[in-house]
Amino acid sequence: MSAAADLALLVPELILVGAALALLLTARRIRRARLAALGTVLAALAAAVATVWARGPGAATGFGGMFAVDGYSQFFKVLIAATLALSALLAADRIDRERVPRAEYHVLLLLAATGMMLAVSAQDLLILYLGLEIMTLCSNILVGITVERPRSNEAAIKYFLLASFASGLLLYGISLTYGVTGSTGFADIAAALAERGPGSNPFLLVPLGLVATGLAFKIAAVPFHAWAPDAYQGAIAPVAAFLAAGAKAAGLAVLGRVCLVAFGSQAHVLSGLLVGLAALSILVGSVIALPQTDMKRLLAYSSIAHAGYALLGLVAGTPEGTSATMTYAFFYVFMTLGAFGVVIALGERGRDLDGYRGLATQRPGTAALMLLFLLSLTGIPPTGGFVAKFVVILSALRAGHVALAVLAVACSVVSAFVYMRVAVLMFMRDPEREAPSRSPVAVSAALAVAALVTLLGGVLPESLVRWAVSP
Amino acid sequence: MSAFPILSATTFLPLVGAAVVVLLGSERLARWIALATTVATVAVSAPLYWRFDKTSSALQFVESADWIPAWNVGYGMGVDGISLPFVFLAALLSVLCVGVSWTAVQTRVREFYVALLVAETAMIGLFAASNLLLFFVFWELMVVPVFLLIGVFGGPGRVYAAVKFLLFTLAGSVLMLVGIIALYRSCGTLDFKALALARASLAPGEQAWLFAAFLAAFAVKVPMFPLHTWLPDAHTEAPTAGSVILAGILLKMGAYGFLRVSLPILPDGVRLFLGPMLVVSAVAIVYGAYVTLAQTDVKRLIAFSSVSHMGFVTLGIFTLDQRGVEGAILQMINHGILSAALFLCVGMIYERTHTREIADYGGVARAAPVYATFLALFCLAATGMPGLNSFIGEFLILGGAFETRAWLGAMGVLGVTLGTIYMVWLFYRVVMGRLNPGLEGRKLELGAREVATLAPLALLAVVLGVYPEAVLSYLRVPVAELLAGGMP
Repeated sequence: MSAAADLALLVPELILVGAALALLLTARRIRRARLAALGTVLAALAAAVATVWARGPGAATGFGGMFAVDGYSQFFKVLIAATLALSALLAADRIDRERVPRAEYHVLLLLAATGMMLAVSAQDLLILYLGLEIMTLCSNILVGITVERPRSNEAAIKYFLLASFASGLLLYGISLTYGVTGSTGFADIAAALAERGPGSNPFLLVPLGLVATGLAFKIAAVPFHAWAPDAYQGAIAPVAAFLAAGAKAAGLAVLGRVCLVAFGSQAHVLSGLLVGLAALSILVGSVIALPQTDMKRLLAYSSIAHAGYALLGLVAGTPEGTSATMTYAFFYVFMTLGAFGVVIALGERGRDLDGYRGLATQRPGTAALMLLFLLSLTGIPPTGGFVAKFVVILSALRAGHVALAVLAVACSVVSAFVYMRVAVLMFMRDPEREAPSRSPVAVSAALAVAALVTLLGGVLPESLVRWAVSP
Repeated sequence: MSAFPILSATTFLPLVGAAVVVLLGSERLARWIALATTVATVAVSAPLYWRFDKTSSALQFVESADWIPAWNVGYGMGVDGISLPFVFLAALLSVLCVGVSWTAVQTRVREFYVALLVAETAMIGLFAASNLLLFFVFWELMVVPVFLLIGVFGGPGRVYAAVKFLLFTLAGSVLMLVGIIALYRSCGTLDFKALALARASLAPGEQAWLFAAFLAAFAVKVPMFPLHTWLPDAHTEAPTAGSVILAGILLKMGAYGFLRVSLPILPDGVRLFLGPMLVVSAVAIVYGAYVTLAQTDVKRLIAFSSVSHMGFVTLGIFTLDQRGVEGAILQMINHGILSAALFLCVGMIYERTHTREIADYGGVARAAPVYATFLALFCLAATGMPGLNSFIGEFLILGGAFETRAWLGAMGVLGVTLGTIYMVWLFYRVVMGRLNPGLEGRKLELGAREVATLAPLALLAVVLGVYPEAVLSYLRVPVAELLAGGMP
């Protein structure tokens, strides 16, 4: 394949990198963060369009088979582009107030998204690693970008330490995989493993476990979740939103491909691991969210639980299961961005639970949107969260994990209590503080998009369900 | 069959009304829009009743459209003789809810009517849905507005009651969700009729599990003993309209679920659980009635009486006898009318006195003869007085119960006796005797709007008492079909 054809596969990533470079070059001239946000949004849209446009018949691979553009990667790239655009909108006004370098913030967002896109297209463990590391590094700086806040520094250091540790595990797993199979390419790994037959090599358990652990860190699945609450709480809300939505979607995408394609023949081993991760994430995430009073921390634990729900799809080790996880990731991204968006829209008041008291009388629209996102996070129809929950539980039942499915729904009652606590404060208590100022246009736009997708996707999920096709 | 989708129009008209209330943003107009919407909904639904073919057990006014072809799930609406009366009841009670809230709700009026109208869509949609996914969507859609109605507009303990209601309902419904998904996995469809045909592919053991999963949701909603503890709190703290919706429709959703899902699709599960279900129903009847006797709060008293009355309903359903099931459905309608009417009565006087303690009342008949007359009618009807509506329902259920197991009938009769005691005693303490000094000088008599709100229910109570055939004629064929359809 010619170099030009290889590069053609990279168009979405190139657009994002190009935008990042352009922003860097013009950084001194950008006086308003809104301008940088606009550039980021346009770049994200262009990348999404390029992703969809590039859709030829079937999948295309390039760079010696290390990079693929297929339906699976396109799905996630569009999702990542949407995350990027919404995160940029959510950040637009906030970073002006936080004395954050404006252009640089958006450059980091763009580069992190580029890393995610590379990772979801990767057909080789090394490309995958590179993509995830670009993402992690940029996210890490974003977490610590408010340098004047001690909390933010603390969060960045914690995130850095744990993320490096996870990266180390992942890399170690990759090298051991190479040792066992003689390759880092997914297709070669699959072929080598298929040759050996299922479960014949105990040495394989270690690399499998290490790779899975490394990726579990990225999606903050229990017991590898400890960084998430601190990182989300310490980071400014737009960064937390980006991390919660984008990093998790990318991590799930990568995990899905690795489990299904590279280690498909080891499904029986992986399934055991994933069941454990899913059950623990759902249980711990739901239960520990109960006593939280900091909104970002609450959403962090909720996102941990949601990682568990999304894993329910991968447990089956089947293409249908992976499709279920894709659907889950899709709706999760929008409802999470929406919930964080409300937190951002409320400014100082959005930070702790008490700030939500009486919101419905002061800002009925915002309260109604928050209710929608909370219902979706709980999984109540007719929202996207319900469709998502439906498909993953179906997938778990198909795989015969009845107990896991029951645990999942039982925990969704626990999480309903968590989310409805916010609803109770908003609707059933009297306000104690002054009404928050009107939310900026950019934030409102992002909220509107998130709400529209959450609601429309819940009422008419057909096209999404058809679109979410596993590799 | 007409091309006009009557059922969808009936279902979604309130939702449109809710949207209009939101968009117009006027508090004054909200009431009028809500009233217009609910009345229009009744009007739109009118052709359903006279064009309905009572000789057929098939779903009628069927509408189907593609919804999620990838899952083989369509958008399907349709009513049969079992569901049609509930569509009417839901539409009627919604109008009355608007009427009773006209002056009672003074704050956040728009939100109130939006919640009420969304709840109406959910209620009607639930009874009109012809597949399980749509059923579940409406089932859950019901929870949120009721949660808000209780929690925002309710009494002093409203938040506790609302959260308790929400958690109980959700705990039940998520298990139902697992059941639905498991059914879907086994049968590959969620259409009620197709599921009934595909049930042969379900092993008895699987059916038992599925029955248990659905039971969790239905038993909470009915509510069956011992899952009834959310009910007294929710009914008591809810605003009048909320209590009416809860007692009138929401409680019927669970029993309707048994008729729509458990009996036709999971007969082996029903057979396995039959004994326990009957025992629990009998316990609910007697225990509910005993606890009712001890209540000092009017609303709480009516709420607990619902536990007892709904025990009759589940008893009737699980007699699996034509008379018993018909009686149960008739009794669901009757209870919907009477408990709604009683809550309306309580709400109307509460609006004037701001107390629900029975001890604060007494001699109301002297100050408000019209009110006392209505209350007398509804209380007598609730005791099962011949000539009023509950009599026939209870009679049929008891007939069915004696047929199945004599001791069940005996328990039922005990329940009726206790029911007469607490109802008459309530009436005696509130209405008879000397006027309570605390009430002197207050204007207790009903206004024209309130009389207009109560009159339809009073009329129904009498009409159904004299001519129960008005409902029974709809039920006969579908119930026979339901019981003949492979029930043991």
